Amino acid sequence: MLRRTALAATALLAAGALLLSACTSGGASNTPSSTGTPDPDASAVIRLVLEPSNLDIRQTAGAALDQILVDNIYEGLVARTPEQDIVPALASDWEVSDDGLTYTFTLREGVTFHDGQPLTPQDVVWSLTTRKNTPEWSDSARLANVQTIAADGQTITLTLSAPDSTLLWNLTGRAGLILKEGDTVDYKTKANGTGPFVLDTWRQGDSITFARNDAYWGDKAQVGEVVFDYIPDNQAALNAALAGEVDVVTGFDANLKDQVEANGDFELVLGKSTDKGTLAMNQASGPLADKRVRQAIRQAIDHEAFIEAAASGETLYGPIPSLDPGYEDLADVAPYDPEGAKALLKEAGVDDLTLTLKIPNFYSTTIPQILVSDLNEVGITLKVDSVDFPTWLNDVYVNKDYDLSYVLHTEARDFENWANPDYYFTYDNPEVQELYKESVAATDPDEAADLLKKAAKIVSEDAAGDWLFNGASVVAVGTNITGMPSINVNERLNLAQLAKSNG
Amino acid sequence: MIRYTLTRLALLLLGLFVASVLIFLTLRVLPGDVAQLIAGTNSTPEQADAIRERLGLGEPLVAQYVDWIGGVLRGDLGTSLLTGSSVTDELVQKAQVTVPLGILALTIALAFSLPLGVISAMRRGRSSGTAISVGSQGLAAVPVVWAGMMLVVVFAVWLGWLPAQGFPRAGWSDPAAAVRALVLPALTIGIVEGAMLLRFVRSATLQAVGQDYVRTAAAKGLTRDAALIRHGLPNVGLSVVTVLGLQVAGIIVGAVVIEQLFSLPGIGRMLVADVSARDLPKVQGELLALTGFVLVVGFVVDLVHRALDPRQREAS
Repeated sequence: MLRRTALAATALLAAGALLLSACTSGGASNTPSSTGTPDPDASAVIRLVLEPSNLDIRQTAGAALDQILVDNIYEGLVARTPEQDIVPALASDWEVSDDGLTYTFTLREGVTFHDGQPLTPQDVVWSLTTRKNTPEWSDSARLANVQTIAADGQTITLTLSAPDSTLLWNLTGRAGLILKEGDTVDYKTKANGTGPFVLDTWRQGDSITFARNDAYWGDKAQVGEVVFDYIPDNQAALNAALAGEVDVVTGFDANLKDQVEANGDFELVLGKSTDKGTLAMNQASGPLADKRVRQAIRQAIDHEAFIEAAASGETLYGPIPSLDPGYEDLADVAPYDPEGAKALLKEAGVDDLTLTLKIPNFYSTTIPQILVSDLNEVGITLKVDSVDFPTWLNDVYVNKDYDLSYVLHTEARDFENWANPDYYFTYDNPEVQELYKESVAATDPDEAADLLKKAAKIVSEDAAGDWLFNGASVVAVGTNITGMPSINVNERLNLAQLAKSNG
Repeated sequence: MIRYTLTRLALLLLGLFVASVLIFLTLRVLPGDVAQLIAGTNSTPEQADAIRERLGLGEPLVAQYVDWIGGVLRGDLGTSLLTGSSVTDELVQKAQVTVPLGILALTIALAFSLPLGVISAMRRGRSSGTAISVGSQGLAAVPVVWAGMMLVVVFAVWLGWLPAQGFPRAGWSDPAAAVRALVLPALTIGIVEGAMLLRFVRSATLQAVGQDYVRTAAAKGLTRDAALIRHGLPNVGLSVVTVLGLQVAGIIVGAVVIEQLFSLPGIGRMLVADVSARDLPKVQGELLALTGFVLVVGFVVDLVHRALDPRQREAS
């Protein structure tokens, strides 16, 4: 009883001190470099926003799965760093033939799956072959150019029917994940990979816990366990951070910087991301089929306003974000110019235009608010239709029944959608499609990037859509945490280096 | 009494049947489907079709309904399309958060609304009575979300006494931690629901004050307050029992909001997640179970009311 009281008293005092420090800490800076020694048995709690609906990485789409499972639980022959470089993983090295048609990987020895079974070259052949031949599995089409997959000892050879500059990158994603042949694990709720963490528990609607894989082939994880705490609401996440219930908050609101940093336990880190706030314009028919109208919409939008409102991110004027190959600053293509926009609309003979924006209801209302007022400025009335995500998928993605649509496309290197006339963007330009094809077929990475750059410029000049901003990864990291990735964490969260100290 | 019970039971079953049809049909009006969600935004129409086929979503509606209700009659609420797990199992698991939350919230609501409601009625016209009345009116108008945020800021963030969100990962194997996690959410619902209940208790008491039998008792020499307590309150109690049924429904609705706010892994949060994932077999199982629960509570309340109220017994 005495201990309880003492504890309560300490807590009160601490809370008081906390309040005081909140009032007085002005210029004191806190570095994220921890002063304490890392605790190898620590449990690090990470707030995430979007919980996966099940864990089946083979066929359930969604960034929520890639974010936690790839790198940590499942691995491929190759992996990517947060800086988007391709690095060895289950293959210790690889070679690409000069004609770009043969990829030779050397498979590591002594790798085991979480259930103790050894990783064999046959598992690799089976995984890639099955992925390629099972259309129901996500990203199976990304292996379309692969003709044969064969193993000879620890050497895995992929032969292609045509060069594919995107193949290695694709192998760092779902298409390249290596599973155990004939595994009977229930993939919806369980996992059996080769990564540095083992799936421990999944409490649906609440949290997922990974434990360190002590039999991992590479450097062992620095913490005993990682808990992903799914807290959709930003304010609740802030409260959890301030109450010391989480160590890291991802998907944070940069406007809350001062509040989360107030007591010195957290520092807000802004990292680049491939998140593209994409305004799709249905150009199949109607007024938006006229390029001048689309261009007018782009020029009517004050892109800086989105960056200011989010207190993070950067402007983007084309389909390729700065982390991806082929990026260039295309600000000149669609400068903020309401007068120019009005002139364009007049030239197009459009008057009293009313458009509807379909937007999934989990996005901030700031985005439609800015759009409504900007477009109103040039005489376009924008109606906002906020719908839940399945409705958006049905109306916009499947039926293409929309005028304007807003969605945050988080995937890296997804330019292909602008080269696909059947995609919901409804953009159909044979020149862009040809350039993209050439880029894929290029054997030199620089050449491939150059071709993408050309294609992206055309897409932007055609006003095929608009890109409201290139989002940032906003992460509040506890000052006792090191090794937390800060780049593109919405898509990938490699926690192999994460460490937590008691200090 | 037996005839009355049987009639009420028949009504309950009819209600459940109608609810099952309504739930089934209204969910089918929702646009979008789980197959497209599984396939995602980089899929071809063929991929989504293949998944739809595998999940049996192409079956005619009548066949799907018969299939579902047949399972329910055998005690099987269905299976989740996304996780393949049993709806019954998940409900039982999530109920371990929601049921204690509801009981705690109801207890809090009753604990302050009953005495304060009666007091404010008895002291009508005096400043303390007015204060309670106005206060309750204010509290009843407070948005649940705002009340929750305020409680969190004070008790979790400033004072650090209680957790701001979440439920202990160990669940009820650590009862103290589990209860601590439920205190703030239960207070939030309890205060708002209790404020409404308080106003009801107050008006029921005021009504009792004006009744002939209270006046008669007072005329026979009891003080006005004693007459009210001896003869009036049993009747107030009866009306409160009737309102409790509604109160339970209110708490379930409150739980949907509060579980989101406090990130509690309960039935409310599961329901919201399943609707947005279009996991319809799961949603309809959950909704039917909840509707059944509310209907059963209403049924029990009716029986209790009848058993307690001598006037109704004599009439039958």
